Amino acid sequence: MAEADTTDAEPDGAAPIVQVRSVRVAFGGLLALRGIDLDVARGERLAILGPNGAGKTTLFNVIAGDIAPTGGTVAIKGVDCTRLPSRRRPRLGVARTYQKARTFEGLSVADNIYLALAGHRRRHRVPWRSAVDRRMRAEAERVAESVRLGDHRGTAAGALAHGQRRQLELGMALATEPEVLMLDEPASGLSRGEREHLVTLLEALPEAVTVLLIEHDMDVAFRIAGRVVVMADGETIAAGTPDQVRGDPRVHEIYLGSEGGT
Amino acid sequence: MRTGSTVNRRTAALLPLVAFLAALPSMAPAFFINFVMTQTLMLGLAAATIVFLAKYGGMVSLAQFLLFGVAGFMYGNAALEAGSRGLNLGWHPWAAVASALAVTTAAAFALGALASRTTGLYYLMLTLVYAVIGYFVFAQITEISGPSGITSIERPELLAAPVSLYYTALGLSVLAYIGFRALGRTAFGLALQGVRDDPVRMASLGFNVPLHRTLAFALGGFVAGLGGLVNVWWNGQIDPASIGIGPTLILLIIAVIGGVSHFEGAWLGAFVYVLMFTYLRDLPLIDRIGITEARFNTVIGAIVLLIMVLSPQGLAGIADRLRRRLPRPRRPGAERPAKTTGRLTRAELIDE
Ligand SMILES: Nc1ncnc2c1ncn2[C@@H]1O[C@H](COP(=O)(O)OP(=O)(O)O)[C@@H](O)[C@H]1O
Ligand SMILES: [Mg+2]
Repeated sequence: MAEADTTDAEPDGAAPIVQVRSVRVAFGGLLALRGIDLDVARGERLAILGPNGAGKTTLFNVIAGDIAPTGGTVAIKGVDCTRLPSRRRPRLGVARTYQKARTFEGLSVADNIYLALAGHRRRHRVPWRSAVDRRMRAEAERVAESVRLGDHRGTAAGALAHGQRRQLELGMALATEPEVLMLDEPASGLSRGEREHLVTLLEALPEAVTVLLIEHDMDVAFRIAGRVVVMADGETIAAGTPDQVRGDPRVHEIYLGSEGGT
Repeated sequence: MRTGSTVNRRTAALLPLVAFLAALPSMAPAFFINFVMTQTLMLGLAAATIVFLAKYGGMVSLAQFLLFGVAGFMYGNAALEAGSRGLNLGWHPWAAVASALAVTTAAAFALGALASRTTGLYYLMLTLVYAVIGYFVFAQITEISGPSGITSIERPELLAAPVSLYYTALGLSVLAYIGFRALGRTAFGLALQGVRDDPVRMASLGFNVPLHRTLAFALGGFVAGLGGLVNVWWNGQIDPASIGIGPTLILLIIAVIGGVSHFEGAWLGAFVYVLMFTYLRDLPLIDRIGITEARFNTVIGAIVLLIMVLSPQGLAGIADRLRRRLPRPRRPGAERPAKTTGRLTRAELIDE
């Protein structure tokens, strides 16, 4: 992966932290991704927009390793990890949330976040409780607090309201202090106040954290992102600053025009 | 911490029961202790491993009785010097104990690894296949099982008195109960519950899901092996028929009537089963209404069915419901999930 590729203009010429090359994904006869190229610079805040079925989640799945692409390559921090199983990618600093919240229903909010921490710190096979454990528990409680779930620490994830489960997902991702944070529609199902809080949280992340954000809420997406990529039908059809994308006629036609439908 | 104190409270509630059971031999007839109670405790121990794997890991295993048997056979082969129809290795009894546990745990690790990418019904089927194959291995390779079992197996001198076997089974049961419950609050145990709830999510958090399942299965095998040792000491012999499909299903029935989401249920189920098995046939009415030896299993089946209809959570579920009827101050922040998944509820773990 020594190719010095500069298809997308890099602000400082540094190697991209996420590099996607000609990625194709076929589900049977259906081409969900038809050759995606994407470079994300360290610390960049990138929003991925596009109508339902455009392949946004599939692209996330490929980057996070939940599915292997039919063709093409993915590199994270310059390491080719196209075939690397998903469980090895957190070590590269990748954390993600899922569009349909995936939390551990039988476990409490605090335990869910604690597990994210334990996995990250490679403490998850320890069959006793130690001082390290107590520290991780205290940390989990702080994270729960930070995503406004402090009052629900002891609640089973399965008993949370939809919006709260999304907050929990976010907390689990943030707990590991990722370098690459991938959020799949984090604002869907949130109340106005919760959205505000989400934006505040994301804006408060350290500058070095790279954020990939799939979001239907334009307001949230454009406030967070410095760059926007628009996908439709398995391809990227436009990319640029929020203003450029807003003005792109193809985007209006394919995406913004149909937004009322979703 | 809240959860810590709840565990302690449950453990404290256990104390009077353990004290009572420890004093029982001076109060109850020897037959009740050495037959009913010892058998209850060792079957409960084995059934608790089914509960452990099902409750925390979502893995319903039918191979636990096989592992129980592996420990027994290994002990028999290792401990006897001559005269048995097994390997007659003639090792020191405690070396035989260690080897039995090591072999059982290793076998469980291997079988668990093979099944570690399977879940749900497929896990049940695969472990059933283990049980069947295991039975045939011991039935057909008579070098390790004797043509009709390994007989006159003696227990280590320390356990010579019959009642000491009862205390051994009691001690192991208490340890397993406390240990399994405590494990549920450790990183390993919580991760296992995470694997049960969403293996894909666990992988994306960096967990090695198949390895975690395998380690849990190996631990379950180790504890089943402890039960198997008590069993072989208690019986003084072991033969392939004793680990066939019949006993395998009986152990599952014990776990199910006890309640697969409660560790208490394992011993409760074993107690009820042993009581039925021991005393039902002596009831005076029973012959007159046409229930003879041959129809005995039908009666047990009917009772099991009745328990299941009354409470899908088994006996421990009934006990739990009664306990909840009693007014008790609710702890804040300990809401239960509204949704339960029927067969094995996940709610139970939250505020135990
Ligand atoms: N696991 C899958 N199996 C089959 N088809 C899938 C699968 N995941 C996604 N798809 C299909 O791939 C296309 C892209 O889906 P997705 O990536 O979820 O879109 P988006 O997230 O942009 O809404 C859709 O047509 C969807 O039906
Ligand atoms: Mg999607």
